[in-house]
Amino acid sequence: MNVLDIRGLTKKFGEFVAVDNMSLTVREGEVFGFLGANGAGKSTTINMVSSLLRPSSGEIRILDRDITKQSRFAKLNLGIVPQDLAIYEDMTAYENVSFFAGLYGLRGTQLKERTEEALEFVGLCDKAKSLPKNFSGGMKRRLNIACAIAHKPKLIIMDEPTVGIDPQSRNYILTSVRNLNESGCTIIYTSHYMEEVEEICSRIAIVDHGKIIAEGTKEQLKSTITDVKDIRIEVKSALPAAAGALKAIPGVRTVLQEENMIRIHSDAAVDNLNRILKQLLDDGMEIRSVEEQEPNLETVFLTLTGRNLRD
Amino acid sequence: MNILSIAFKEIKQDFRDWRTLIFMLGFPIILMLILGLALTNAFSGDLSVGDLEVVVKDTTGGGPLSEAFAAFTKEAGKSGITFDSLPAGKNGRTEVENNRYVDYVELSGQGISLYGSSRSTIESNIVQGMLTSFADKYNAAAAVAQTEPAQVQAVFAGGAGSDYIKELSIDADRTPGSIDYYALALTVMVGMWAAMPAGGLIQREILRGTAVRLVTAPIRKSEIFAGKVLGGIATSFLCVIVIFVFSKYVFKAYWGEHIGIVLIVLFSEVIMALSLGLAFSYLLKGSASRGIISLIVQLMSFFGGAYFPIGDDSGGGIMGFLVNLSPIRWGNHGLTQVIYGNDVSAAWPAVGLYLGFAILFLGASIAAMRRREGL
Repeated sequence: MNVLDIRGLTKKFGEFVAVDNMSLTVREGEVFGFLGANGAGKSTTINMVSSLLRPSSGEIRILDRDITKQSRFAKLNLGIVPQDLAIYEDMTAYENVSFFAGLYGLRGTQLKERTEEALEFVGLCDKAKSLPKNFSGGMKRRLNIACAIAHKPKLIIMDEPTVGIDPQSRNYILTSVRNLNESGCTIIYTSHYMEEVEEICSRIAIVDHGKIIAEGTKEQLKSTITDVKDIRIEVKSALPAAAGALKAIPGVRTVLQEENMIRIHSDAAVDNLNRILKQLLDDGMEIRSVEEQEPNLETVFLTLTGRNLRD
Repeated sequence: MNILSIAFKEIKQDFRDWRTLIFMLGFPIILMLILGLALTNAFSGDLSVGDLEVVVKDTTGGGPLSEAFAAFTKEAGKSGITFDSLPAGKNGRTEVENNRYVDYVELSGQGISLYGSSRSTIESNIVQGMLTSFADKYNAAAAVAQTEPAQVQAVFAGGAGSDYIKELSIDADRTPGSIDYYALALTVMVGMWAAMPAGGLIQREILRGTAVRLVTAPIRKSEIFAGKVLGGIATSFLCVIVIFVFSKYVFKAYWGEHIGIVLIVLFSEVIMALSLGLAFSYLLKGSASRGIISLIVQLMSFFGGAYFPIGDDSGGGIMGFLVNLSPIRWGNHGLTQVIYGNDVSAAWPAVGLYLGFAILFLGASIAAMRRREGL
């Protein structure tokens, strides 16, 4: 069964087309990774699914019902974990969860139980009576999740839920995502951390310029770039002009410089490593190490979009 | 239910913001105390009806109204209120404008017309109250005359002749002192302060990121709007009540005999103020709206007489126009008549204006909200 069906979705802001005739399906029980660089159209799509924005055209169906025609049904089955914290700092953790759950029609004992359940799920039971303004960043992120799950939605959209938190809280959240998924929730997950997406997502879509440019399991996505090799060269100090000369070498598709690391995606069939190294040496760079890696999700993303996910 | 839930959440959050609350309550109470004590001498403590001079023009050419009015002026004269006939060639309105009389009364075939002085509000209100009382009694007599002509005299003789004066309900021992004045003026000002937090009513949800949760919840935007408005009104009115109670029982300010009517006026003012702030926040997006609304409220307070009874000496011209434009003035003026003139009907124009503008501002806010995506 499809939990989310998007057909021909378009959103225009004046002349600018943020989402361009996008179609997408998320099946029940999936953790669906939604990847895109900033401005790719990812947030606009999520905002339309969440009813925060009205589509210019196209159709969105949640559990087979049109969200514009049966908005209440769609909203009842949807939980949102926004990228920016959406909690009241002057209300206790319990009051936050209880207030938002109450808007979903929960009352009395059921509201109390669900609130406690949600707080327990994110490990904030002992902080139920504390104000979030005294919480750490990770605890606030967990409360942000609790507010989205107390009403037990079928579909949860998590937009960068681990941004800016410590590794311990990140692990806690990733475990929570898995647990939620095991309890029957379908999850749409966006993140700038590619390793997170590789770790927890069963299927992934890459969006660029408002369109889905690739979709499938991580293995399927990786298999689309078997003709690409991922070369990583560590130099003593990379010169800004190096990329231009490297791109001119036959077979080189993309060159990415991150401090002392130069990443090159090149045609696997072209044997150009010696020319690349010679070029760097000619440019006066001191090479420390050279490594050719198996393509991972980041390689896929870079190859398909020509951009780093954090761009 | 969702509306109440959102309203309750608003009230809870507002009352937890103790810094704002202390300012909202502490500032007017301290100001009331300081101005009330410092300006005691600026307020006349011996305002007397004996000083009232009214000019009258009778164009009825005699008849029952003229006769009854003559009897009324005779009784009123015992209390020191003098009614002078308008000399030929003089204009009654000009006489009042030139401050030679507190009121101009015109008797005609159409009834009684009153032209009051905006410079002598209290004196004018007293005369208006007396005339209202007289008109009621005269109308009753006219009605009786149509069915039982013989009983007409009984209507006027129903009480002592001085009933005209007694029915005016002027408390001879009560004149508005400085504390009384500032209790009223500053309470009305606090009612208008509802406009300031209202500017951020929706904006705060957007800034905190919680607007996303509210909009994605299975509730209508109108419920969110209504809940927030209801909560804002409740908080602001509770602040007004606290100031009112404090002034009445701690400062012993006089609030008259019609407390219910006074509270209705203040409640309608809070609704209008909140609607004004909300409309500004929608029309002038961003934080600029809060600064502008604060400035407007301060100007309203100044021209409305919150800091000094500026209205009584404003006369006409631009100053008079600005004074009458201030919603704080509407409340002050109406409530002064209710409290000191015992004229309950004087409350309704203020209530009408407040609610009328509230509907206008809320309508504008709703229209702007419906056009927006999200909140």
